Amino acid sequence: MLQVQRSSRKAVARCVLRSSRRGYASGSEPYDAVIIGGGPGGYVAAIKSAQLGLRTACIEKRGSLGGTCLNVGCIPSKSLLNNSHLFHQAQHDFAKRGIDVSEVKVNLGQMMKAKEQSVTGLTKGIETLFKQNKVDYIKGTASFVSPTRIAVQLNEGGSTEVEAKNVVIATGSEVAPFPGGAIQIDEEQIVSSTGALALQKVPEKMVVIGGGVIGLELGSVWSRLGAEVTVVEFLGGIGGAGIDEEIAKQFQRILQKQGIKFQLNTKVLGAEKKDGKVYIKTEAAKGGKEATLEADVVLVSVGRRPVTEGLNLDKIGVEVDQKGRIVIDDQFNTTVQGVKCIGDVTFGPMLAHKAEEEGIAAAEYIKAGHGHVNYNAIPSVVYTYPEVAWVGKTEQELKAAGVQYKVGKFPFAANSRAKTNLDTEGQVKFLTEKETDRILGVHIIGPNAGEMIGEAVLAIEYGASSEDVARTTHAHPTLSEAFKEAAMAAYQKPIHF
Amino acid sequence: MHPSLRLCSARVHEPLIKFVGKRVWPTAPDPPHAHPQAPTELKEHFSDFLKKFQASSHAPHPAAPPGVQPKKPASPSGVNVQHVERYGEFWEAPAQFWRPRVRTLEDWEIDAIQTGGASLR
Repeated sequence: MLQVQRSSRKAVARCVLRSSRRGYASGSEPYDAVIIGGGPGGYVAAIKSAQLGLRTACIEKRGSLGGTCLNVGCIPSKSLLNNSHLFHQAQHDFAKRGIDVSEVKVNLGQMMKAKEQSVTGLTKGIETLFKQNKVDYIKGTASFVSPTRIAVQLNEGGSTEVEAKNVVIATGSEVAPFPGGAIQIDEEQIVSSTGALALQKVPEKMVVIGGGVIGLELGSVWSRLGAEVTVVEFLGGIGGAGIDEEIAKQFQRILQKQGIKFQLNTKVLGAEKKDGKVYIKTEAAKGGKEATLEADVVLVSVGRRPVTEGLNLDKIGVEVDQKGRIVIDDQFNTTVQGVKCIGDVTFGPMLAHKAEEEGIAAAEYIKAGHGHVNYNAIPSVVYTYPEVAWVGKTEQELKAAGVQYKVGKFPFAANSRAKTNLDTEGQVKFLTEKETDRILGVHIIGPNAGEMIGEAVLAIEYGASSEDVARTTHAHPTLSEAFKEAAMAAYQKPIHF
Repeated sequence: MHPSLRLCSARVHEPLIKFVGKRVWPTAPDPPHAHPQAPTELKEHFSDFLKKFQASSHAPHPAAPPGVQPKKPASPSGVNVQHVERYGEFWEAPAQFWRPRVRTLEDWEIDAIQTGGASLR
């Protein structure tokens, strides 16, 4: 049901893509499902709900669908990563391949245009999917009036209310500020990931605070384009949560060879802007030795936090935990019946594909009372060069849990395709249960790791052994043979190493 | 000669992967559990969550007309219980009780009503 105030009726008519259900202001049928948030979790939940025959609306305040991922996250960063890698290759790699080029220059404006083109194409694509699946798209900011009624401040002015039998909160996350407020983001000199995707020129010196996935990806982009990049990380390793320590060390060595500098076990105390520069004060994480770093641009990438502001959750009794995450059960129910929650705003890793899986499962729970997400089989990928990807347990986790395990490794240096590509850095590492040979974790650093990890996810999802993978034919010559050989190494011996 | 090794290599591999067949949901909804990624303290006190969840349907809905009983606690799966006879929300009743059995008005008819007939000129 769409209740429309007289002043905003025309605005709503423009906002709501499906106008065939237009009706009077009262007595209309409520939606079966209203999704708050049009990011990867929200839009997928909306489309799946509609496909399951539920009358569905999706409320999104950004003005374009796709959430952080499509607008200011995964997608624009991948565009810059891909194109900056090509530039870097042309500068440093082509000559050894017999390709002589001269005067390779960066046209940053064009690179940004290419990025925006990808973003626009994909966000518009979701609008088309909404139309095809008959999802009503309401552009505005939602807040709960009751568990079944949502007020929407429309982006084009005016307001409306929608009634829903089921509501799914999928409002995602936002950049976390620097702890203690010692550094204020201005998105020009001191930037978050959003600002780092839209710099007007290549900085001479860039300091990245936080050596997690976002910091390393965006640090790589600007390093390839010519910036002198220093990554400052409080912990003793890079790559963020879930990365295997051995892989993290190899990763750091490779990035160092590419010119990125690292200061690990280092705490950032504050930043001061002066004469067009930013001066970052640091000290050793365990205290003591202070130092100052100079930068033209500072990227603050210390994490993200859930977005619940303005939803009026306290009014309807939806509980949040100390980290601001909405508390849910394994069926995505919040503490209020009829209100579910998925994605970054609740438990689990803040990953677009995890949110998508939850979106599908939430729709299925609404429709049928059953759904499926396997949290042991959610891959992580760092889209640097080479890529790093993993799924399942790390060696450290297995040791801590007292699990008897075996390790199988295969280096890309022994893979024929990697050799022909002159791209041999990295390895595939299998971790299997000693007794059963069941695959517990796979960690890859190397070319195409982000694509290759899909095979490992499938193997873990279906409880495969390393021998199952090893006895499966992989095409020759491909990088995927390294995956097969690592599986062989886990249960017997590889052929080519 | 190493006959024992040969015997070893001749064993038949039994895949751990099994064909699971077409996915069919059971008829009864899944019982709720703590979210696998929830913090330990919340997992340990999941019964508190369930109490709050069930209590959330006990209070009459603000929009419910006087005298209407609140909906019986639904299963956390969100599947409506079939034997409910009284309804807190009008749409929870069978559609014939609230969906008008008249043809849907066309847009031009709504406009005509709202403009006092001006849109027809």
